[in-house]
Amino acid sequence: MKPRAITGLGIASALGTGATETLAGLAAGAPVGGAPIASFDAAAYEDPPIVEVPGFDPTKHLGDKGLRTLDRLTKLLVVAARLSLHDAGLKRDGQWASLAPERVGVCCSNAYGSLEAITELDRVAVLEDARYINPAKFPNTVSNSASGYVSIWEDLRALNVSVSDGNCGALDAMSCADLFLETGRAEAILTGGGESMSEALFLAFDKLRVLGTNGAGARLGEGAAFHVVEPLERAKARGAKVLATVDGYGTAFIAPKDEVTLLFASSEALERAIAGALADAGLAAKDVDLVVSGVSGIAQFDAEERAAIEKVVGPDVAVAAPKQVFGETLGAGGALAMSAALAWLDGAAPSCLVSGNPPAKVDTVLVTAVGYYGNASALVMRRA
Amino acid sequence: MRVFITGVGVVSSIGLGKDAFFTSLAEGKSGISPVEAFDASNLGRSNAGEVKAFRPRDHLTAAEARRMGRCSQMALAAARMAIADAALPEGALAGPRASVVLGTTMGEADVLEDLDHAWIAKGLPGVRRAWIPKYGSTLLPIHVARAIGAEGAVLTLPAACAAGNYALGLACDLIRAGKADVIVTGAAEMLQELQFSGFVRLAAMAPAKCQPFDLNRQGLILGEGAGILVVESEAHAVRRDARVLAEVGGHGMTCDAYHITRPHPEAAGSIGAMRQAIERSGLDPSAIDFVNAHGTGTKHNDSAESKVMREVFGERKVPISSMKSMLGHCMGAASALEAIGCVMTLETGIYPPTIGYETPDPDCDVDVVANAPRKGKADIVLNNSLAFGGYNSVTCLARPGKLPPQGATAS
Repeated sequence: MKPRAITGLGIASALGTGATETLAGLAAGAPVGGAPIASFDAAAYEDPPIVEVPGFDPTKHLGDKGLRTLDRLTKLLVVAARLSLHDAGLKRDGQWASLAPERVGVCCSNAYGSLEAITELDRVAVLEDARYINPAKFPNTVSNSASGYVSIWEDLRALNVSVSDGNCGALDAMSCADLFLETGRAEAILTGGGESMSEALFLAFDKLRVLGTNGAGARLGEGAAFHVVEPLERAKARGAKVLATVDGYGTAFIAPKDEVTLLFASSEALERAIAGALADAGLAAKDVDLVVSGVSGIAQFDAEERAAIEKVVGPDVAVAAPKQVFGETLGAGGALAMSAALAWLDGAAPSCLVSGNPPAKVDTVLVTAVGYYGNASALVMRRA
Repeated sequence: MRVFITGVGVVSSIGLGKDAFFTSLAEGKSGISPVEAFDASNLGRSNAGEVKAFRPRDHLTAAEARRMGRCSQMALAAARMAIADAALPEGALAGPRASVVLGTTMGEADVLEDLDHAWIAKGLPGVRRAWIPKYGSTLLPIHVARAIGAEGAVLTLPAACAAGNYALGLACDLIRAGKADVIVTGAAEMLQELQFSGFVRLAAMAPAKCQPFDLNRQGLILGEGAGILVVESEAHAVRRDARVLAEVGGHGMTCDAYHITRPHPEAAGSIGAMRQAIERSGLDPSAIDFVNAHGTGTKHNDSAESKVMREVFGERKVPISSMKSMLGHCMGAASALEAIGCVMTLETGIYPPTIGYETPDPDCDVDVVANAPRKGKADIVLNNSLAFGGYNSVTCLARPGKLPPQGATAS
């Protein structure tokens, strides 16, 4: 792909709300967790292995009007979108400062929609009667609802494309944004993803017995991040600060060999995705200074991911695992990984390395993601 | 690079498979009937375009049927029909140059319902653990790719009621960008109780039938199904001497950024999407022979869409029709099924009728193909979709060779 400029970042993560909080927190290796669970009543669960966006207060960013019927996923995404637009200088104090709303779009990944909203309405339907479900909350059950609200709240009219590909979705969203910029459908695209914590999501992962215990292993997370992506030359022409470029993308799917398996980690799919991303960027494996991986603490998946990285990029390359800090944030995972990559490319030296040591100056980062069904994606980011 | 549609597959309330679907469409056959999948008696509404004839095991192996929800089952069944229709031999879709890009609104809704209801009624021990990984709209293209051997991109576009058009549009973009040679695309959706109740509670559902553009229209009727298309690059199609059903021109995408469920009263976004589709096809509005309407049968949608027609085409009244009068609103699957209906129109010159059209609405001053099919010029048609969230998408489909060179290669 042609180099695409990232000109703004908006993020809500386990490290707080805002790019500064997140990037500084990554550099400091800030300890997370310990705060009481805010997204659902967790009294019945002893020390659940989950991480939330701490003290998330959408009213600080969005005011207090119109939030009542919005779900948590929507609020996380809208806050991230607003912050990214301001960081990119497309908006100032809520007003457009550069480009026009007709030329700015959204490409947003999410894996599981609003389980919070669906469960709430299901509860009414099962325990009372479907006649009593709240029509104002029904729209929240639709998969693209949160992404649609981003356009509504921020007046982004070029296009809005929601992407679902599990843990790989946010990297895939970047490849879609690249296509849409290439075909002139927009001049800037808010590209990223979101996932919100809910009791149903936690219980699903807990029941699958993939989450860690006693502080070790995988933790389920939540968050949202948007990167404002523009054609590099245009971004420079409008005088935007370029945080980094996205230079290549690859993806692959390999099916399990037997009929019974459903959950499946494929190192072969990731090998192909990495090779594809490097070829797309016109780079060789030796050019990679650091791999920002999707390693999350789920052993079977981590092993396949690390094997693919080792095979294609080499055994000595430095590998970071920001999910140690953010938790497993699914549809948001690739977006948060890209934000972490920005910290490295910016010269910060974040925590969460799982092997090797990157050079003092990190110029090229490979971001990897492994899905739960044999899907994998990878993306190359470079210092601007 | 030109992109061809070389095969289509259908699971619908008016027929399984392309031939049955085309015949029913051309005859104006209704697929609307009382819902059997759940008890809707309390809700005051009972009709939908439910697919009653679909038996998963006619199309899927036992293992496939077991690991999928109904939405994926319908998607895979329709994909197999489309691949057979494209005369692609076994293994022709294996490897990294084949992709699967599908749209949906809710994906595996029955799986989530099962999990959620068990949890609510019986507590966590009542939840079937093995069913948890079966949930997620991500799974639709995964299941299809797995069955056909595709190893390229597997993407779901949850673009609500425009999802089929979004998927088809992105598939064509991917082929034109050289990222794939052949893509299985389209969309699937299943009827489900919560969603049905939600539309009733939004006061959006008609009592018995869907009457797009009619003065007395009372809202939408839900439906379900799957519409799958095989799209190929020209080079790939020529290499294997494929029969070409239709050519895909440009597609337009905009977002209203106005309201989560209502279309923008000025319809600026949908006007923009339609103009984009025409311009990106290298065409002038005068070249469009027929428009497949989004036509949900709600007051807001049909009047906004009529406004789009007047704004884009001016004085010329381009024939327009809504298959939702027969199929109901199949949500994510709607615009994919309708794109396949457009292929039928291009092939036969038959505009499918809008059935149940009784009283013209001055607010919908458009040339509705009312109640009976109409024969007409069908070289180039538009497939219009306007979705929840303000997502607008329009695709241009043409008889092979009828697009100008620049429109056949743009996107």
